[in-house]
Amino acid sequence: MTALARLQAEFRAWMQQAPVAPPDRRTSVEVPGEAIAPDALRARVLDTRKADREILLGVYREAYALRLIEALQTDYPGLLALVGPDDFDTMARAYIAAHPSHHPSVRWFGRDVAAFLAATPPFSDTPAAAEMARFEWALGEAFDAADAEPLTFDDVVALPPDAWTTLRLSFVPSLRRLTLRHQVPQAWLQRDSCEPGDLDVPPAVDPDNPVGRPGVEWLIWRTAPDADTQFRSTEADEAWMLDAARGGMAFPDLCDGLSAFAPAGEETTEAWAAQRAAGLLRAWVDAGCIVAADAT
Amino acid sequence: MPHAVRRNSATAVADGLGFGLGLRHQHYQEIADAPGKVDWFEALSENYMAPGGRPLYWLDRLRRDYPVVLHGVSLSIGAVDPLDMSYLAALKALAQRVEPRWMSDHLCFTGHAGVNLHDLLPLPYTEEALAHVVERVQRVQDFLGRRMLLENVSSYVRYSDSQLSEWDFLVAVAERADCDILLDVNNIYVSAFNHEFDARAYLAAIPPARVRQIHLAGHLNCGTHIIDTHDHPVIDNVWSLYGEAIRRFGMVPTMIERDDNIPPYAELLAELDHARHVAAQALSAPAEVAA
Ligand SMILES: [Fe+2]
Repeated sequence: MTALARLQAEFRAWMQQAPVAPPDRRTSVEVPGEAIAPDALRARVLDTRKADREILLGVYREAYALRLIEALQTDYPGLLALVGPDDFDTMARAYIAAHPSHHPSVRWFGRDVAAFLAATPPFSDTPAAAEMARFEWALGEAFDAADAEPLTFDDVVALPPDAWTTLRLSFVPSLRRLTLRHQVPQAWLQRDSCEPGDLDVPPAVDPDNPVGRPGVEWLIWRTAPDADTQFRSTEADEAWMLDAARGGMAFPDLCDGLSAFAPAGEETTEAWAAQRAAGLLRAWVDAGCIVAADAT
Repeated sequence: MPHAVRRNSATAVADGLGFGLGLRHQHYQEIADAPGKVDWFEALSENYMAPGGRPLYWLDRLRRDYPVVLHGVSLSIGAVDPLDMSYLAALKALAQRVEPRWMSDHLCFTGHAGVNLHDLLPLPYTEEALAHVVERVQRVQDFLGRRMLLENVSSYVRYSDSQLSEWDFLVAVAERADCDILLDVNNIYVSAFNHEFDARAYLAAIPPARVRQIHLAGHLNCGTHIIDTHDHPVIDNVWSLYGEAIRRFGMVPTMIERDDNIPPYAELLAELDHARHVAAQALSAPAEVAA
């Protein structure tokens, strides 16, 4: 390895030994100023008349953690409101150690937070935290997903009648669908009106009955390029139809599939399903979720 | 000094872009509502490398009314890792969309072994590093089809194996790779404080023809060292160093960087007016150069 490569390897290794706690919560072995930079790196850095090289190297190492923690705070304000600053800091430092950034933009650094929280004790003991992270990451994805011009209701009305027999729908690229077992979106709206750490995220479904309802279905989407990201909950039949439509199922087959959701006692399930499918389509068009309806 | 053609401020505005600000999302609407207060904007390239959404919407909109330059933080021109060609392709695509007056990044490395440390880390000023950077700048410029600006960074450490001064290294890169220089006057001040060199000697070593843009920013003085935080107004010592720079380099397009603790737009406009004032004073009193 050349001298330049060795230096960069040593510098990276040093930066990545980011302390697991902020300065005010460190044990004596972690107090900045203690000789903890590796000898090889220390040997290549000079003291100044004013400061020891350990302090100066520490500037980079502290800034590395703080910069990434700040990026996570920007991406996950609801998670911060839920767990509070101290636990957020601990979580963020563990995440930084487990998932170093591999992307040129820090925008993508936090992409694995939800999976990390769901799989890593002790964070996995608070399943609402991983769900909040999943929801907030989806909001972020919708925020800067590709732009698209939504279809208007007039466009749909103008379709020739025979188009409906083969009609397939395309959705705005920002559209995301989540199944959440906690009242995460409701709590997220309250994130700024409580003390950090005090955000309450109650269950949305019976937590003791995992074989019952798997969760509440949510849609997230953005219409115009500069529009705010929107979200709302859906019923199970709408979630099913949306998934099927995004999978390329034609409109008559969507109607057929919907009839399985017809309420008990409904005599003409076909008529109910056709009316429900038309209603859902109208709602999606009105919300600006659909970009194309192709009869091919 | 063959390059030191002194220009008066009238031709300077025609020559250059004048006085700009870093484009920050907190100010998008105010910029649109109060046009003409700023001559140009510098957009952080990585912030606009998204498929769509509000950031690109605003950049597309504002670039119709203002000249825009692109400023990147992830080129990692000094890294031993291979050049990130997918990053460069995204940068080139962004440039095709935005049509910036120029593009810049930093003379530093930002990662190693595929890990992006998201910091501007100083290089050792060695012949090895010089050859390495020069070759990479040439390849980047070939790929982008344009000349780049490289910026001097603030640094907190100095390496025992450096053979050149920071300014000699910067000038050698610019001359050998045929790239231009984005001179960050605050960074010169910060590094001069940290490493106890003469900031004026730094300015005197830079060939004026290479300097196409100047950065100004605030910092945090910790007593034993200064950290380049971009979260405060520009300090008086940096203003006077800026005056020296304008006297030496002429009316180089100048902008103020604020990345944290973002103040109201009006506050930055007032700070930018101060930059105009300092530059005008510097150009009207060239005799002070000799003082
Ligand atoms: Fe700068």
